[in-house]
This record gives sequence, structure tokens and C-alpha cells, in this order.
Amino acid sequence: MADALVAAAGLGKVYGTDIATRALEEVSFEIGAGEFVAIVGRSGSGKSTLLNLLGLLDTPSEGTLHLRGTESNSLDKRGRAKLRNELLGFVFQYHHLLPEFSVRENILMPYLISGGPVDEAIGARVDETLRVLGLDGLGAKNANDLSGGQKQRVAIGRALMNRPAIVLADEPTGNLDTENTEAVYSLFRTINEEWGTTFLIVTHDQDIASMTDRILELRDGKLVQDVRNAYAGAITR
Amino acid sequence: MLPLKIAWRFLRKSPAQTLLIIAGIAVGIAVQVFIGSLITSLQGSLVEKTIGSSPHITLADPTDGQPVVYSAFMQRVLAGTKGVSAIVPVRELNVLYSNGTDKVPLTLTGGEAGKLNLIYRLSQRTVEGVSTLKQGEIVIGTDLAKKYLLIPGDKMLLNSGSGAPVSLLITGIVDLGSSAANLRTAFVGPDLPRAQLGFRADQYSAIQVQLTDPFGSTPIATAWRGQFPGVKVSDWQVDNKDLLQALSSQSLSSYMIQVFVLVAVALGIASTLAISAVQKVKQIGILKALGMADGDTGAIFVWQSVIMGVSGTALGVLTGFGLIAGFTFGTAKSGAGFPITPQPGFIAISVAVGILVALLSAIIPTRNTARLDPIEVIQNG
Repeated sequence: MADALVAAAGLGKVYGTDIATRALEEVSFEIGAGEFVAIVGRSGSGKSTLLNLLGLLDTPSEGTLHLRGTESNSLDKRGRAKLRNELLGFVFQYHHLLPEFSVRENILMPYLISGGPVDEAIGARVDETLRVLGLDGLGAKNANDLSGGQKQRVAIGRALMNRPAIVLADEPTGNLDTENTEAVYSLFRTINEEWGTTFLIVTHDQDIASMTDRILELRDGKLVQDVRNAYAGAITR
Repeated sequence: MLPLKIAWRFLRKSPAQTLLIIAGIAVGIAVQVFIGSLITSLQGSLVEKTIGSSPHITLADPTDGQPVVYSAFMQRVLAGTKGVSAIVPVRELNVLYSNGTDKVPLTLTGGEAGKLNLIYRLSQRTVEGVSTLKQGEIVIGTDLAKKYLLIPGDKMLLNSGSGAPVSLLITGIVDLGSSAANLRTAFVGPDLPRAQLGFRADQYSAIQVQLTDPFGSTPIATAWRGQFPGVKVSDWQVDNKDLLQALSSQSLSSYMIQVFVLVAVALGIASTLAISAVQKVKQIGILKALGMADGDTGAIFVWQSVIMGVSGTALGVLTGFGLIAGFTFGTAKSGAGFPITPQPGFIAISVAVGILVALLSAIIPTRNTARLDPIEVIQNG
């Protein structure tokens, strides 16, 4: 895939020097723009390690990772932070909102970090994000004053603020009930289809994985399966 | 300015903690301003009392009683020396005041009223009458007047031992600030001592000099010794070594107090910022995960320091002024003590040091923040 958005080639990660622990070994795959992908595997299989590498939060011990054509090892810490801010959106298992800021400010935060001016267009973007997330009228509230499901939707809004090409989600519904879980996945799918955003969702839940278009399975740090899910559309709809 | 905005929100989120550390800085700076101004003013008051109304350098003949010649050369050198604020040639005559029962030794300092005023400030110190020092007039000290019930308008009979007794009219009574001086010193015009001593017009008992900076007397005195061989040049700093030693020791103890206060302030801010960095580790980790650079996350703590440092310092300076006003009011009411003058230079240094110390306190949390790995925060929830 020449125009791959994500291209991992022989990715490996070893922690420690005296006692080396291998978390990832020879992982290679490519992901194109607009794909809706699940990364599955048991606990300790290397899912989070892979996500940290894809999210430029960590550096590989072996292999290369290209994000929209940029080789991650060619970037210094500041360069990785900048690319992370521009290209990637994160949704974590825990919402990790900033309690010192309002809902609106939390959503705006990645844009503020990028240093752009907050003009009318940006204000309208936040309004649209709030509307898409079903958070109309809650913008001025403190992030702490929302329910668990609402907080996670704010975190999704924050991940989408800079209109990233890729959203990385690490067990994003791990702390939510069934109703909110379905709502979040439905939201992910809507954004994926309407905005063309690529989603990489780490999960250990096979039901959730079955709602995605493609499943990458890790076992003991190795990529053991990379399959297309022909039924995904039917399940989610 | 995102780091500033975040710093402000962090501080507002913990108002009690923020106010406590601002109060801590304020107390430190207030003590600095108060102690610094107190010591400086106290020293200024001591110096003023000791030498404010006396010469800083005196030129005289090495032999007691012999005149010094106030030559044209000496006049030129003295007037041309930078830092000289007053040159007063005086003739001093020792006399006995006799009131019929008592005989009191007095030193008459003779000179022109205008010139004597430059050093002795007679017009300011006159508590009764006037200090004009015309021919036949005398100005005496308060203690002598009180002891012998003398008032302006009275006549005094003085005997110098080298001629007939002279009778002088008391025109003024002055308070010279010292009981001994008030009892033993009196002032007259230039002619009487000259006639009694038999001096020529250019001969004086001493040439008294005051300087704009009293502490600059030593190099000037040394230079004059070289220029006027055979003349005894006395420097007040040499004559008051004990006082200067005491002032120097006082300054040292004051600096020690101020250094320890600053160290306490620095430790206070540093520990609070360190605690704040620990409290906000999740937020910092998330901000880094969202793409905030290490420099910007560090800047959050620098801004916190600046906000607390500037507010605490400003409050401290105001409190310091309050303490000074309170002290001045209290001592003025009791009649004791001396006025404290706030020292602008010293306050500027305190402000600069306060803010600098606050900034230095941000170093540790800034470094810790740079080392923080966002993965730890994300995975530990």
C-alpha cells in the first residue's frame, strides 16, 4: 500500500537492559485512510505497547514506523509531540479530562496546544463537536460535573478537535456500561464514515472487535492474524 | 500563553494552598523590607547623630594651640576636591565662664554664622533666641543655659586668661544633641577668638570639612596629607573606629537574618511547587500526550512561580511599608526611637531577589515534568 497512513515494518520493543523483556516482535502492517480497525489480544499480548508506538508516546527498539509518510525515528521529542498533536487523537480507557477546565475548554485543549488562534471558525468547530457528541448546552460546565458516559464523550470530542487523520482508542469503553458502550461505538462509526477519520481501537472484547472492518490480533508480542471483517457493517447497522 | 492560562487554573483550583504560599513569600519579603530599612535607617541615624553636625575631616597644626595657615593653595585644593560639601575655618578659644560663685570652662568656636551653619546647623538647632553671631554676641548650649539659668538677653563674663575679661550678650540657645557639648561649647563670631589668640587673618585653629559622603573621607584625607605636609589631617573614620566596627557587625547580622529569611522563602515555594507538580502529574501527562512540548509543560510551573512570586512580593512590600509606618507611629508616640525611611534601592533588591528565588524554585518541578512519561499516567488511570 503505497499511500498507507500507517506503515509498520518489523516493529519490535524490548524493555530493560539488564533483564530484557520483549513486548513486541516483528510486527508489520499497513493501514489506509478511513479504515476502522480493532487491535485485539489477551492481556500482556503487546496491544498497549503497539498503541504507544503508534501514538508516538514511545519509540521502537527495532523496525520502522511511518505515519503519513514521516518516519517516527527521524523525529526528536518535540517533533513527535508536534506530529502527535496534528495527526493523532487519543481516547483512553479513563477519560483523563482536566478538572480545572470547562467541557468546552477540554475539547479545545489540543487546538490550544497547537498554538492556533481561537476565532469564529474554531468556535463553530467546537459547537459542531458538542452537537455530534450529544453534549449541546454542556460546554460551560466543569468537566467534573458530568456523568461517566458524558465525560468519555468529551474525551472523544477532545480527540477529534484537531480533526486528526487517526484516532487511537485504548479500551475506550472499559469503564462504561453496555448502553454507553454501544453509544460510543456508534459515535466512532459515524465519525469514521462522515469525516473519513481512521480508527485504531485496542480492545480485548471480541464483540466490540466484531463491529470493526479489520482485526489485528496480537499474541505474545507477535501479530498472528490480520483479517477483514465482512460482517462488520451489518453488525453495526 | 497556554502555559500561563493552565498555571493560573492550577493555582485557582487549590486556593488555600496558593494563598498560603503567597502569604509565606509576603512575610519573607515584608521582613526583608522592614529589617533592611530599619537597620539602614538606624545606622543612618547613628552616623547622623555622631558626625552629622561635626567635621568629617579636620586640618590643624600638629601642636595643640598652634594655628594652621589657611593658604590660598589650601583653599584651592579643598574647594577643588570632589565630594566636599562644606569648608569652615574656625578659631577655638578656651575660656572660663564666671557667674560669681562658679567657674566653668568653655570652648568658644569662632567663625562666621553662615559658614558655621553649614556644619553645626545652628539656625536649625536654636531652641530659643537667634544665632546671628555678630560682634559681642554669643550662642550657648541648652545644658549650660539650664544649669546657670541663662536666657537670651543675659550677659556672660568670660575670661580667656590672656587679657581683660570680656562681656558677651547671649542671643541664642542651641541644642547640639549631646549633653557634654551643650554644657561646654559656645559659638561666637570670628573676631573675638582671633584677637584673643593673636592669630593673623589667614591663621585658624582648624579647617573643618564636611563631605557629601562621610564614608568617602579616608582617601580624601590621605590625599590631603600628601598635599599639606606639616598639617595634621584627622579623619572621622579613624577617630570612630569602634562605632564603625559596631555598624559593620550590625550590617553583617542583618545580612545573615535576610539570607536565612530568603532561604526559608525559597524552600517554602520550592516545596509547594514540588507538591503541586505531584498533584498535577495526571494533567501534565495528559497535556504531554495531547502534544504539549516539555518546554511548555515546564513553563506552567515557571508561570506558577512568577504569579506567586510577584503577588507575594507585592504583598510583602506593602506589608513591609505597613510595618515601617506602624513602627514609626509607635515610636513617635512614645517619643523614643527614630524615623525609619524606606530604602528604595534596598526594596528594589528585595523585590528582584523575591522574584528570582521564586523562579529558581521552579527548577525542580520543571525538570521532573520534563522527565515525566505520559504513558505512566495513561496506564495508571
